[in-house]
Amino acid sequence: MDKIVNDFTINIATANGTGSQSANLILLQTLFDMGIPVSGKNLFPSNISGLPTWYIVRLSEQGYQAPGDRTHIQILVNPATWEEDLASLEPGTVVIWNTDSKMAMEREDVISYPVPMTKIARKLNAKLARMIANVVYVGVLAELLGMDQDVLENAISKQFGGKEKAIELNAEAARLGRAYCAEELTKSDSYAVESREVEEGGFFIEGNEAIALGSIFGGIQMLGWYPITPSSSVAEGIISWLPKLRTHEGKATYAVIQAEDELAAAGMIIGAGWAGARGLTATSGPGISLMQEFIGLAYFAEIPCVFWDVNRVGPSTGLPTRTQQGDLTMLYESSHGDTKHIVFIPGTVEECFEFGWKVFDASERYQTPVFGFSDLDLGMNKWASRGFEYPDQEFDRGKLVLTQEQMESIENYGRYRDVDGDGIPYRTLPGSGLDPILYRGTGHAEDGTYSEKPDVYYKLMQRLGRKIDGARDYLPEPIIKEDDEIDIGVIFYGSMENTIQEIEDIVEEKTGMKMSTCRVRALPLHSEVEAFVEKHDKVIVLEINRDAQLYGIIRKEYPVHLLNKLLSVAYSDGMPPRGRLYAERIVETLEEAEI
Amino acid sequence: MSEKRVRTVKLNVINEPKDSYTGGKSSLCPGCGHDQISNVIISAAWDNAIQPHRIAKMSGIGCSSKTPAYYLGQSHGFNTVHGRMPSVTTGANVVNKDLTYIGVSGDGDSASIGIGQLIHAIRRNLDMVYIVENNGVYGLTKGQYSATADVGSKKKKGPVNETQPIDLCAMAINLGCSFVARSFSGSKKQLTALLKAAMSHKGFALIDVISPCVTFNNNDESLRSYGYVKDNQAELHSVGYIPHFSPLEQVEVPAGSYRDVTLHDGSTMRLETISEDHDIGDAVAALSALHKADANKKHVTGILYFDGEKPALDVDLDLHETPLVEMGQDLLRPSPEQLEEVIASFRG
Repeated sequence: MDKIVNDFTINIATANGTGSQSANLILLQTLFDMGIPVSGKNLFPSNISGLPTWYIVRLSEQGYQAPGDRTHIQILVNPATWEEDLASLEPGTVVIWNTDSKMAMEREDVISYPVPMTKIARKLNAKLARMIANVVYVGVLAELLGMDQDVLENAISKQFGGKEKAIELNAEAARLGRAYCAEELTKSDSYAVESREVEEGGFFIEGNEAIALGSIFGGIQMLGWYPITPSSSVAEGIISWLPKLRTHEGKATYAVIQAEDELAAAGMIIGAGWAGARGLTATSGPGISLMQEFIGLAYFAEIPCVFWDVNRVGPSTGLPTRTQQGDLTMLYESSHGDTKHIVFIPGTVEECFEFGWKVFDASERYQTPVFGFSDLDLGMNKWASRGFEYPDQEFDRGKLVLTQEQMESIENYGRYRDVDGDGIPYRTLPGSGLDPILYRGTGHAEDGTYSEKPDVYYKLMQRLGRKIDGARDYLPEPIIKEDDEIDIGVIFYGSMENTIQEIEDIVEEKTGMKMSTCRVRALPLHSEVEAFVEKHDKVIVLEINRDAQLYGIIRKEYPVHLLNKLLSVAYSDGMPPRGRLYAERIVETLEEAEI
Repeated sequence: MSEKRVRTVKLNVINEPKDSYTGGKSSLCPGCGHDQISNVIISAAWDNAIQPHRIAKMSGIGCSSKTPAYYLGQSHGFNTVHGRMPSVTTGANVVNKDLTYIGVSGDGDSASIGIGQLIHAIRRNLDMVYIVENNGVYGLTKGQYSATADVGSKKKKGPVNETQPIDLCAMAINLGCSFVARSFSGSKKQLTALLKAAMSHKGFALIDVISPCVTFNNNDESLRSYGYVKDNQAELHSVGYIPHFSPLEQVEVPAGSYRDVTLHDGSTMRLETISEDHDIGDAVAALSALHKADANKKHVTGILYFDGEKPALDVDLDLHETPLVEMGQDLLRPSPEQLEEVIASFRG
């Protein structure tokens, strides 16, 4: 039997709140520290304790980070999903199962490794047996696949950072699991791991924490937030890092308020922006729905403020712990009336950090609400990174008038007058005494006074349109990978970045066709995106939603001669995108278009 | 020698004429109580000698919320969205704690759509003056009852209101609001004194001002009509206010039936206790006064409750003395070395 090395998927089925998360992260860290390309996906329920949870660990020499198409090794611990999990496995799958679960192994076509996980754990510590049992399966896997014990113990030590007792207990549990495997089980599968060259400086980080750090390096001054999955860890990340990174003479250079609801959170950051500070809130789709009125105010009154939307599955409460790209249109055209907003769309943790600081500059430069758009997959899973680049630009405060001299140098100042012809007016701050106005969400003339005059309203709306339109090529350009002779292009965005390589490879394997790719990183769309569409015969817009939201935006904005080039592949079932599933839909779509 | 009469412009102690505190022309109905309140805001700010540009005027949506255009033309202002002025003020306050925030709201704004934000601003002891121009009706949408309309109130047309009103002062006292007062838009002297005291208070100062709507709520059956309030107002205190820069501060404090309350900025508020011995530090007595007045269908006015010790939100946040808006990139962006340390901590 040929060995299958570093190229398989492990699925761990446990119950929420049993401590399995630590065990799974130890497993992930061990493989990572051995230099094996590995990714982890946490599929967790909207629940505190007891409901089923799965953790998918994918090892891939090609560096594929999506969950694989099938499970090669199944860990069965949770009786609640036992039968369903077991039934879903393909013949030949390895099943490591807890014999203390009082569940039967009813499949004979799988490779079965029974392990009395709870009994082993109980011998070690009766009280904590349920928790430690999770580390027992990590030990079994380590022995079965050939993981380095030192690396494993080092990962345990990282996980429990400094807590000696916990480190000792868990290391012993792993050793006992290992010993059981060596003594009682006979290896009859072909899966194995092998160390690879370890890239220096690598580490794991969740997208949300990367956004949090980016915000702090972007000079966040006010965080107003309301807890909501899957965005809470953005705010909590900011809160945990601020005292370490942002005090002066022992005092805070920031204000954090947990608001009474999302509406208040939006109001707070708009108040901060109006007063001249950098305010940010982090939320998910339901929160953005609640903030719509305020977003319109900030757009119309031209107040800088930053909203991060970590997308979960909608509509309504939807699937609160699953992932989707379903909020894009809502962000782009947020609030009633004609609006258009700047949206930054990171696809990697490095971009989460980079856009984390850049959003503030864009918001102050254009005096408008700016959105960051992430999703649960990118935000709440751990991704490998090698480091973040320190901001390479000074703060951009935009056209801020701080002194009388500055004011005098501006010809014909009016808060909402387009002095420079770029649609962006100058602004002064409360407390400065410089040309004070009453900011308002009602119609206003160039000097800020109330107006309902038709020509005044028309001109104002045209200017606002021009202002945001002018941001296109200032915003992050798309990442384009293309060869001249390639006819098919794929436009995609956000966390799909982590599946696209696998999709491309599968499409090529099935059809022999290569595809150019264009990863959109901001709205409004950069001019290079249009050039990409011009260049290709057919362009598929690939996204994780039902209604083809980016496809819709492109169709609405691009000239008629480009429209018949556009095809859509939009699919969403709550899961992080799996390569084969999207690749098959691309192939079908191309066949339907007779390509 | 002929006598030459020179008209001198009266200045406050920072040499500003009262004109520096006025605003644009009101577009409210002639005779609206709200305009009287606007005039009191102008007088109180001038008397307190706050630099006009160091005031921020905040409001929500409604007749009352339009009024910031009619006073303090040299101050920046923000006419925000319906019922949400407290959150916008919260964000502004924490990044620039050195401004004086004066919020004007109505009973629709404060007792209905925005009651949650009002409650939470009180809970945080946000440092602001919050004036409710309370008339029991929605004016801009032409006279629907609000949540403060008294049972038995009757509009010119339509049915009698049978729904229990919300007493914002009682609510605020229960929430631990650090300054709670009630007044009447026709009582200029009392309102001016209350407003001056509120502006000097470090914390949330709620002044619920009965401000009759001349258009939609001024028939005799309405409990918020001019006629009704004038006849049924029970004054709890008459309030004297001495700004801290007045040389009279210590001299004029009499003993006996007077009680002085020292405010955050060192200024002193002197209360003349009319209704026996109401202790403004006694929340139960304040609630009792409100309930008794309610039972007797009267409005009790004056300062009802005061707690000068409660820390304001910006104090709770342990902010640096320099307002956040005055900080530059040197204080707001951590160094490259700090980024390296952060990354090193992830590498473990």
